[in-house]
Amino acid sequence: MPFKPDSALIIVGHGSTVNPDSSAPTLDHAEAIIQSGAFGEVHCAFWKEEPSLRQVLHMVDSDDVYIVPNFISEGYFTRTVIPRELELDGPVTQKNGRLLKYCEPVGNHERMGELLLKRAAEVAPGVDPADCSLLIVGHGTNLNDNSAFAAKREVDRIRELGIYGEVFNTYMEEAPLISEWNAYTTKPHVVVVPFFIADGLHSYQDIPVLLGIEQETGAAASQREIFRQNPYFLRERTLYYASAIGTEPAFAELILAQTALFDAQTSTHNASA
Amino acid sequence: MKRNLTTAIETWVAGGLKVVGQLSIISLPEGGYELSHAEDAGKPGLDTFHSASRARTISFFDDAGEYRPLKTAPNLQHGWRLILKNAEELRAALDHFYPAMTALWHSYLNDTLAPVPLRDTLNRQTGMYAATKRLQDEEGQELVGRACAASSCTKRILWNFGPDQPLTMLKADKLPPSRRTDPAPPVEMPLLCHEACNILVAACREVVKKRERAAAPPPDAQSQHQAH
Repeated sequence: MPFKPDSALIIVGHGSTVNPDSSAPTLDHAEAIIQSGAFGEVHCAFWKEEPSLRQVLHMVDSDDVYIVPNFISEGYFTRTVIPRELELDGPVTQKNGRLLKYCEPVGNHERMGELLLKRAAEVAPGVDPADCSLLIVGHGTNLNDNSAFAAKREVDRIRELGIYGEVFNTYMEEAPLISEWNAYTTKPHVVVVPFFIADGLHSYQDIPVLLGIEQETGAAASQREIFRQNPYFLRERTLYYASAIGTEPAFAELILAQTALFDAQTSTHNASA
Repeated sequence: MKRNLTTAIETWVAGGLKVVGQLSIISLPEGGYELSHAEDAGKPGLDTFHSASRARTISFFDDAGEYRPLKTAPNLQHGWRLILKNAEELRAALDHFYPAMTALWHSYLNDTLAPVPLRDTLNRQTGMYAATKRLQDEEGQELVGRACAASSCTKRILWNFGPDQPLTMLKADKLPPSRRTDPAPPVEMPLLCHEACNILVAACREVVKKRERAAAPPPDAQSQHQAH
């Protein structure tokens, strides 16, 4: 674990003006990192909530600042919006006497597959993975093509391990559709893990309807008394639906790991220059 | 020497700062601080909490339990008080209730808070918000007057409409506080807006899209119109 008492960490999330749970994992991971003491200060910033990307640098005391996007993949936000709003020049930006270090998004980390497997095992305790179809469900639109690419990469890695009977990428808006999950799975047990950062609109409210475990889009997770009651017996299978992968507490470790990876890559770059 | 916002907040409160937005701040005689809704200050029967992170839960929902996407909206939840051990916890709690507001005030006092005209913010947008570049002056001024009114947001606006265009539809309570010449900290810390928030940018997009839809109905509507 990094120990940087003289550095600041900014975790950037998307946030939402509609769903109160969208920013929750980012704020939770920040809280865990504050408690760990890994960084002298930890702040969050959001595109759709406060503090905004245009405000957050004013909050920082330190001159050495690591910025980690809490996003599931590279994409429009990590490549265009965040650099533009924070006025970043590239991986390293010197600005007003500060060094801003722009790390890779958390979803890029090689331990993502490990966390997906952990979440899948936790949601279906006692189920033999060999009798199980594992579905990693992403958004899957042209606008968000990089998240679909990242989800495919993780599924390929998991499939190669040969732990689950079968492993599929599925999407909300493109084939193979999550709403048709029973058409392409063959195992008696089906585990579904949302490839999303938060239990927001998509993973908590939309996908359960597509799966058939809810009849209509319900209230936000934080505004309901019961989260989920697995398993669900429907379409002649046993279905287990997990929380979004980004709510996994170990994501805090991945955020820290991205800062360590940044340092390792920068020192390698400097050594070879 | 590196800036220390925690020390600055401690100094402000020691110097008499008592109100931040809808919050009341009390320095406790035994050390530490008490925060509550300013309208609840001193009331009996409040739910008492002892953790800065509790501020996060309180700040997310209004009295009716509805989500508050804008933390500076004048609908802070009532009925609680928060006891905080030290200035570090006070800073963390204030950042949950009013994200970045103490930091922006500090930058403002040190002349390092550069306001960004709305036009510059909109001209920078890409993707779905690129449409905001087509916002017209009149509709934009009207929108700011409505969307940023004190009944919606308690921040004071530092930015202009364009580099040489002042905002024309806002009341005095929304305009920048007068520059202080008194070195003593104020009793109430103003909440500052140095650049339009994403909520306003999204509203600008809606105004542009609505006008453009009205001016050019979609092809289906046109053909139906012609058919009839």
